[in-house]
Amino acid sequence: MMDLALSRGQLTIREKLWQIHWLFVLLLVATAGVGFAMQYSAADGRIEPWALRHGVRFVAGLAVMIGVAVIDIRIWLRYAYTIYLAVLLLLGAVEIGGYMGMGARRWLDLGFITIQPSEMMKIAIVLALARYFHGGSLEDIRRPTFLAMPLLLVAAPTVLVLRQPGLGTALMLVIAGAAIMFLAGVRLWKFALLGVLALLAAPIAWQRLHDYQRRRVLTFLDPESDPLGAGYHIIQSKIAFGSGGLSGRGFMEGTQGHLSFLPEMQTDFIFTMLAEEFGLIGSLALLGLYAVMLIYGVAISLSARSHFGRLLGMGVTVTFFLYVFINMAMVMGVIPVVGVPLPLISYGGTAMLTLLFGFGLLMGVWVHRDLPIGRRGAAADD
Amino acid sequence: MIAAANKPAALRIDGIRKQALDTGRNRLLITGVVLTLAFTAIAGRLVDLTVFKAGGEPRLARIDPSPLAPAGRADVVDRNGVILATSLPTASLYADPAKVLNAEEAVERLVELLPDLDHEELLGRLQTPSRFQWVARNLTPKQQYEVNRLGLPGFGFQRGERRVYPHGRLVAHVIGLTDVDGRGIAGIERYFDQTLRAGERLKLAVDVRIQALMHEELAAAVEEFSAIGAAGLMLDADTGEVVAMVSLPDFDPNEPSLVGGEPAFNRATKGVYEMGSTFKLFTAAMALDSGTVTMKSGYDASRPIQISRFVIRDYHAKNRWLSVPEIVVYSSNIGAAKMAVDVGTKAQRTYLGRFGLLTPTAIELPEVGAPLTPAPWREINTMTVAYGHGIAVTPMQMASGVATLVNGGLFVPPTLLKRIDRRPVVGTRVLTPETSDQMRKLMQLVVSNGTGRKADTSADGYVIGGKTGTADKLAGRGYQKKANISSFVGAFPIDAPRYVVLVLIDEPKGNKNTFNYSTGGWVAAPVVARIVKRMATLIGMPPERHLEPAPESLLREARAATAATRATPTPAPKAAAVNAEDHMLNRVRAVLAAGTPDAAAFAARPASPEPQPGHPEKALATR
Repeated sequence: MMDLALSRGQLTIREKLWQIHWLFVLLLVATAGVGFAMQYSAADGRIEPWALRHGVRFVAGLAVMIGVAVIDIRIWLRYAYTIYLAVLLLLGAVEIGGYMGMGARRWLDLGFITIQPSEMMKIAIVLALARYFHGGSLEDIRRPTFLAMPLLLVAAPTVLVLRQPGLGTALMLVIAGAAIMFLAGVRLWKFALLGVLALLAAPIAWQRLHDYQRRRVLTFLDPESDPLGAGYHIIQSKIAFGSGGLSGRGFMEGTQGHLSFLPEMQTDFIFTMLAEEFGLIGSLALLGLYAVMLIYGVAISLSARSHFGRLLGMGVTVTFFLYVFINMAMVMGVIPVVGVPLPLISYGGTAMLTLLFGFGLLMGVWVHRDLPIGRRGAAADD
Repeated sequence: MIAAANKPAALRIDGIRKQALDTGRNRLLITGVVLTLAFTAIAGRLVDLTVFKAGGEPRLARIDPSPLAPAGRADVVDRNGVILATSLPTASLYADPAKVLNAEEAVERLVELLPDLDHEELLGRLQTPSRFQWVARNLTPKQQYEVNRLGLPGFGFQRGERRVYPHGRLVAHVIGLTDVDGRGIAGIERYFDQTLRAGERLKLAVDVRIQALMHEELAAAVEEFSAIGAAGLMLDADTGEVVAMVSLPDFDPNEPSLVGGEPAFNRATKGVYEMGSTFKLFTAAMALDSGTVTMKSGYDASRPIQISRFVIRDYHAKNRWLSVPEIVVYSSNIGAAKMAVDVGTKAQRTYLGRFGLLTPTAIELPEVGAPLTPAPWREINTMTVAYGHGIAVTPMQMASGVATLVNGGLFVPPTLLKRIDRRPVVGTRVLTPETSDQMRKLMQLVVSNGTGRKADTSADGYVIGGKTGTADKLAGRGYQKKANISSFVGAFPIDAPRYVVLVLIDEPKGNKNTFNYSTGGWVAAPVVARIVKRMATLIGMPPERHLEPAPESLLREARAATAATRATPTPAPKAAAVNAEDHMLNRVRAVLAAGTPDAAAFAARPASPEPQPGHPEKALATR
């Protein structure tokens, strides 16, 4: 067993590449292919300006993913906090020097590339929390004070993201953080307590919300109250779903997107376009692709021998799930409109790189699944 | 010892580890289940949205009210089912100024698409604090699409309907029109507003083909004689159905905003005119029917009738004794006046009343003029009314009265609605069938031998009978010499009349072709001839091969008879009654006091008893 573990830690790059779950990669390629087709349709049958770049980014992201996967998982453990701090700093930099786009300050221009640190934080927080809980024993976890640190880890970026403002990302950070704490074994009553506190804080939060955010929540409750304003997207989106019906209007035949009833449909609202053009069957097929990926994610996490691997794998899986769930629920009017893209389908570089980086970590967990990791991060059996 | 101490510790650690592992695995599985449930919910929502909300139109579309046109206004069709008025669904653009983001830009772009809009005016209205402003009514589908494409917030479409009259001006005065809100404001549209709103289709008696040729011929006559207007009527002699009704000038009911003034005036039913000589038909009919005269009776028309300083003259003066047929055929005022005096004032009023000439016609139109009748009705009035002066009626009354003359003597109220299967109509008997038969012969003689020769179409196989009429128009203080109403009223085929035709030209000016005459015989009679010829072929009426020759013998026999009785003059007219002058002066004063401008102006007036149309002196002097 020891030998095996050691040998796993000492796998050559070639062996590791062999270990990569290529079926999962195939799923990614298929999904990104759907994304490419939708971007092509969104541009009225041209690969410019979105589809081509979407494809290029995916290929680049795939390379990143494989690179991340073959790096020893202990290295990620070691640098988890460093990465977290770096991203937090970038987030802070956005607060100071970021530029505005579409009414929110989310982008950071690094000269050669513009990035969205809030997207990167979604993975960074998973890394940091996985490391933190990996280092704690079950007794530690039972101590309330032990939870102060992870709460801070979640709260800091959440506040910064909310200030951008980015309601959807903040939501994802909080839910992903809570999921990891739940998986790490934090007692349920503590979640209950936090929930109550959150409810108590809600009126204050409501006060601090931007006008447009408040309107979105109100509009969510009754989209038709403001059909041309905040309710516009949801109404048009629902029309698109109904228009698609069972089998859809056909590729490139969607009216809602092509007649510009849905502005910026290549990003967060791409799913409505897909639903209109491919109908229920197409939508369920995409949902199926995502579901298979999620099942792989959970299975990979279960297979990990190390606590870090398990938490990291599940953290990435939950984050991925949140992307899908929040986006779809939003476009279908189940939750208010928030800015969360649909993984591998929506146009957007940072989100795709973030996601593929995350999948790289998940893949790393799979490659190093038999490697036990000690509290300090060394390969050990305690 | 070590082993002993170690063992429980190891066990304990194992226990904790096991527990931790269990917790971890359990929670991982729980998380997996939650994710699965969430995905199932998403899938369920997906099914709900795509399949169960098919169509996906939002609530908005359903609550969009269309209060203006809920059921759809019913069609109006002619007797053959040709659509005369129908409703088309349209969209009208409105704005909610409170929701318009950038009024300046919005107006700018709208004006590009809808050039009829007034930039400044619309901008002004969009900057008011109101929540509703019409922008443009009745857009075409293309316009609606273009406006929709602009994607302007704060603008919306109201579904409505637009009334469309496919024949435009052709049946304008019959159908009338609706206002922008779809309410009938004239004609059939107004009279049957409730019926049409209730969705009940109306089938009119009008035949749009006959209407079209009558419209064309009248318009040509108005053009040729530089007339100010005209009216034309075609009635079914037996049923009273109005087969054609034209009034010129007319209007296009498809452009409600341009309708008004003179073109909106219906001369055929609202215009009240002194008809002149055509009234002699009624005088002859009542004289024959009451037994006052026979076809062989005669009157001395050798000298004008002088009543103090007023004179009744003949236009086509023969300066001799005239038989009853001659009085009609040569249109003798003197003879008609003397005949009427013999009939008597009371009988004259009774007969005229039965012909429907003294009360407004009960026809399905809001535009009905009331006749102007003498009040008081004295002997002098009896004399002038005998040849159609001092009494003003609508062309519709005239045509309907003539129908009574020729159809066997039954008065049938005229109607614009098609009667079903020409079911026998219950009429009121006014004349004996024998009198009606005599009247047809007289009317045939007028066309064959008298003033109506221009209406003779017997060469084409269609025999018309009728009577011409010419009356000077009233103007201010008296009659205008240069402005008259020229008419012809007739029936055909005259041996068994099916249709009554009336053509009336308002203020025709004679031209070279008519030797500067502008009388009914020269102006209106040829129009009737053309209408009859064209319509006969249209409705498939075969020309008669063996024409009954005009009963000229009547003229000869009557003339011979009157010559024989010349020695015993019929009683001199008692018109020169002692007080005649007083009556007339009173009449003149009344007319002046009322300041009657012209015949058309009478139309707007209430019915009798009102000031008399007609300056007595002039009236007496007209033909």
